[in-house]
Amino acid sequence: MNFLRLGLWLLGRERASGEWRVLLLALVIGVGSVATTGFLGDRLQRAMRDEGARFLGADLLVTSPRPVESWPDNPLATAHAVEFASMVSRGDAFQLATLRAVDDAWPLRGTVRIAPRAFAPGTPGRALPPPGSVYVDPQLLPLLDAQVGDSVRIGEAAFRIAGVVVEEPGQLGGVFGLAPRIFLRADELERTHVLLPGSRATYLYQFAGVPATLDAFARALKTRLDDTQRVIGSREGVETLRGAFRNMDAYLQLTALISLLLSVAAIAIAARRHALRHYDQAALLRCFGATAAQLRVLYATQLFALGVLGSLAGAALGALVQQALGGLILPDTLARLPALGWRPVGVAVASGLLALAGAALPALMRLIRVPPLRVLRRDLPPLPLSAWLGAAISGAALLILVVAYARDLKLVSVFVGALAALALVLALLARLALVAGRGMRTVSRGPLRFGLAQLLRHRFDSTLQLGAFTLALFLLGLLALVRTDLIESWRTQLPPDAPNHFLVNIAPHQQDAVAAWLADHHLQASALYPMVRGRLIEKNGQPIADTLPPEDRGDNSLRRELNLTWTASLPANNAVTAGRWHGDRRVGAPAGGTPSGAPLLRSDPSAELSVESGMAERLHLALGDTLGFRIGDQTVAARITSIRNVKWDSMQPNFFVIFAPGMLDGLPASGIASVRVPSGPGSPMSGFVKAFPGITVLALDKLIADIEAVFARILAAIQLLLGFLLAAGLAVVVATLLASLDARRQEAVLLRTLGARRAWLAQGLMSEFVVLGLLSGVLASVCAEIAMALIAHRLFDLSPQLHPWLWLVLPPLGALLVGASGWLTTRHIVRVPPMQSLRALG
Amino acid sequence: MTPPDSARFPASIVQARALSQRVPTADGLLAILSDVALDFKAGETLAITGASGSGKSTLLGLLAGLDIASAGEVHLFGERLDTLDEDARARLRAGRVGFVFQSFQLLPALTALENVLMPLELAGHDDARTRAAHWLERVGLAARARHTPRQLSGGEQQRVAIARAFATDPEIVFADEPTGNLDADTGARIVDLLFELNASAHTTLVLVTHDATLAARCQRRLHLVAGRVQDTVSA
Repeated sequence: MNFLRLGLWLLGRERASGEWRVLLLALVIGVGSVATTGFLGDRLQRAMRDEGARFLGADLLVTSPRPVESWPDNPLATAHAVEFASMVSRGDAFQLATLRAVDDAWPLRGTVRIAPRAFAPGTPGRALPPPGSVYVDPQLLPLLDAQVGDSVRIGEAAFRIAGVVVEEPGQLGGVFGLAPRIFLRADELERTHVLLPGSRATYLYQFAGVPATLDAFARALKTRLDDTQRVIGSREGVETLRGAFRNMDAYLQLTALISLLLSVAAIAIAARRHALRHYDQAALLRCFGATAAQLRVLYATQLFALGVLGSLAGAALGALVQQALGGLILPDTLARLPALGWRPVGVAVASGLLALAGAALPALMRLIRVPPLRVLRRDLPPLPLSAWLGAAISGAALLILVVAYARDLKLVSVFVGALAALALVLALLARLALVAGRGMRTVSRGPLRFGLAQLLRHRFDSTLQLGAFTLALFLLGLLALVRTDLIESWRTQLPPDAPNHFLVNIAPHQQDAVAAWLADHHLQASALYPMVRGRLIEKNGQPIADTLPPEDRGDNSLRRELNLTWTASLPANNAVTAGRWHGDRRVGAPAGGTPSGAPLLRSDPSAELSVESGMAERLHLALGDTLGFRIGDQTVAARITSIRNVKWDSMQPNFFVIFAPGMLDGLPASGIASVRVPSGPGSPMSGFVKAFPGITVLALDKLIADIEAVFARILAAIQLLLGFLLAAGLAVVVATLLASLDARRQEAVLLRTLGARRAWLAQGLMSEFVVLGLLSGVLASVCAEIAMALIAHRLFDLSPQLHPWLWLVLPPLGALLVGASGWLTTRHIVRVPPMQSLRALG
Repeated sequence: MTPPDSARFPASIVQARALSQRVPTADGLLAILSDVALDFKAGETLAITGASGSGKSTLLGLLAGLDIASAGEVHLFGERLDTLDEDARARLRAGRVGFVFQSFQLLPALTALENVLMPLELAGHDDARTRAAHWLERVGLAARARHTPRQLSGGEQQRVAIARAFATDPEIVFADEPTGNLDADTGARIVDLLFELNASAHTTLVLVTHDATLAARCQRRLHLVAGRVQDTVSA
């Protein structure tokens, strides 16, 4: 007979008797959790990209100093705008403004909110004003002493103010220092006659579409654009969200790995039991004349069929769960996301097969090594399989899975290292715990003594079970810690009194007046930072671009002017990671300013500056390098003496480059500060705008709300994944118990035959499981604390701390979980009459 | 079934010469079998008797090619077994050797019919299902064909095992204590069935037993004491 068919036939027959049920269940849960994580992670990441697109106003934005005549062929949605500076007037009042002439599609993503008056909530819509009118920045109204409905002049044309812009995409993308914005219609631009050939203007092109098309389009664009033109993806939409993006990625990878690992553990244990129960079958088949190759085909067919079945069921489960719960988490974006493709299903099935192969192959390979003589001597074990071979198969499969799921190699190395250490620690601790149990046995009595004796008698099984339970609890504990520690710490980075307004362009002579006004209105402002704009041009006397590999020369920080500041004290939310903070080591600024016409290189060997760590990494900057900046017509140079980590999402003014005091003093600087303004009607800021018409006020409430929405989604996703991991952990628990069920049944039958009461036996079993669960909980707490300290330190730059609640929760949880599962799984062995059990055992 | 012919039944179906089996123990090598010789013709019935631990089952395993001796030779169907590897010995057994075990060794997930079907499928018989049904009927279990081993009594399970052993029309059947797990009455009926089927199928039967009555029904008897042949009796 065809052994392939025989394998499937036997599989079908055994299905009826439930032989494969545990293995399949473990596989379905494992693949289900991986698939859910995969589907959901994919969708969450797309949702994050959507957020970015909303901030950018498009999936892709191209900026150019001149019109772009031709584009690569593409089916993308497009919108165009031209941005330029011009004077706007009303009566005698003049004001420089940034004009943006838009078409009717602008913006492609996100919305523009237009309100009938300043600081009103406004209604969402397009940026295109009605014919003959403009939308203006609320800052502009007091500057021009105008109201909505009044008329303003731009060049040679007059426009009616149809509303104020309270929110627009891209509001925060390096907007500091820009003059207040005006939206007008592109088709009315010509009649202003302000934009003449040679005028300085930025041409903006928005694109939106599906990711694959966008990627292809962006690649095609790269070869066409020159240095003055820029392509901005939605991920760059807003710098503030970048930290959240990164942590989200890291978190999802970690979760996918953990659920995968749990399922592999459950499958491995179930496969071991399955193989044990099939030794007789394999020996009989050998006896009937089956060769090793035929048995290999038979069992490989069964494994493959089971793998496909379990993986498909798991993928379906994952798709269902993520669809049902995804709606709760992403109500607004779910409808816009493309349907689930076959690719995640393929990935889930491949993962399931790989996990099954890694976990079950070594056990099933032993099956084909069963000696036929076992039919006569049932105590004969299969020939030992090389431990190295088994470990190599499992290790290779696991490594492929881990590397495939975690795109971050740092995460993989920490994870694999932690796992290897964990296996060693667990084996050692489990053995130690059992030795301690021996001491307890001598002082205990009754069923407890029996339970402890059981634990010690099956020392190998107990170690395995203890290891598996501990792993499950450890991962659950770790997840809870990751959830509470990391997520909550993100949250607390945004305290309830986080600043929600930026004050930009504060002139030096206004500083005292601004501080007094804020104090009068009981508003707390951050430190005020002076700010000059300068372009990074040199490193160690060489043009900066020449010091970089070609692929890094297009970095954003080289393409635009940076906001430079100076201060003696390290700003809050900044941490020096290398070097020494310059403090108040003041450098004497040369007197008399610059001789006109010739740029002056201010190079004082003692001049110091501090660079943000990300920028240092991207531009290959190190301590001791001297950086040259062009500020206006001057060049200023200073040495890097410290590198800082900056929390960009702190809602405080943050800077890539901070000089020591003295270097930039005397340059024309404006100030920037952030302030917390109570939300609600009657904002005091309208009074501020009237009092200081030249100071730009940026309201960040919307951005903060968006970031909080992102955190809320992350938290919801974590709660969902926690449920799945719990199921996977329980699968491990049940698989481990079932693995020892046959031996337990035999012992129970013997004991009952010898006169043990049913209740006594049940109490004995119960105490065994409860002790096992308690021990697992204690060991898991130890491991979780260690792992958490490592993760917090290595991955998330948080300082490690102890978690007493973990020690209070995990041991009782372990006792409850293992006790309950143990009772549910084994209760029938003490209920069945001994005679019936004896017959069933054969 | 097909009648025997001279080509299919060589003069000697099993031969053993100077057969010894030793296993390593903590106290050195332990001799389980020493210097056993036998020559066994097709169609004969042989009982291997002896006390517990005398090496009966070990000898059966060696003769059936389930294990390889430490010294000496076994020839099965004219093939010298120690020159064949595990797979070659398995191929030699396929369809030509039947087994009956003390503990029945039925697959618990399969029905009675399916258990009989199994070796037929392995040997590649086209009419496997018909044959299996026929042999179940021969052992009087046609009505229990869809029952799993758990639903059958010990005697019934051994009947299924006997049907399974004869279903492939083997040249030789090895039976290891076939009545060892059964009460006396049931055992007697099983033995009757075994000999009846053996006679009608003209099969060679090698039987391990410590039951003198059962041994007495065989044409030849080999008595083992501490791994050595003490007595060979031909009826």
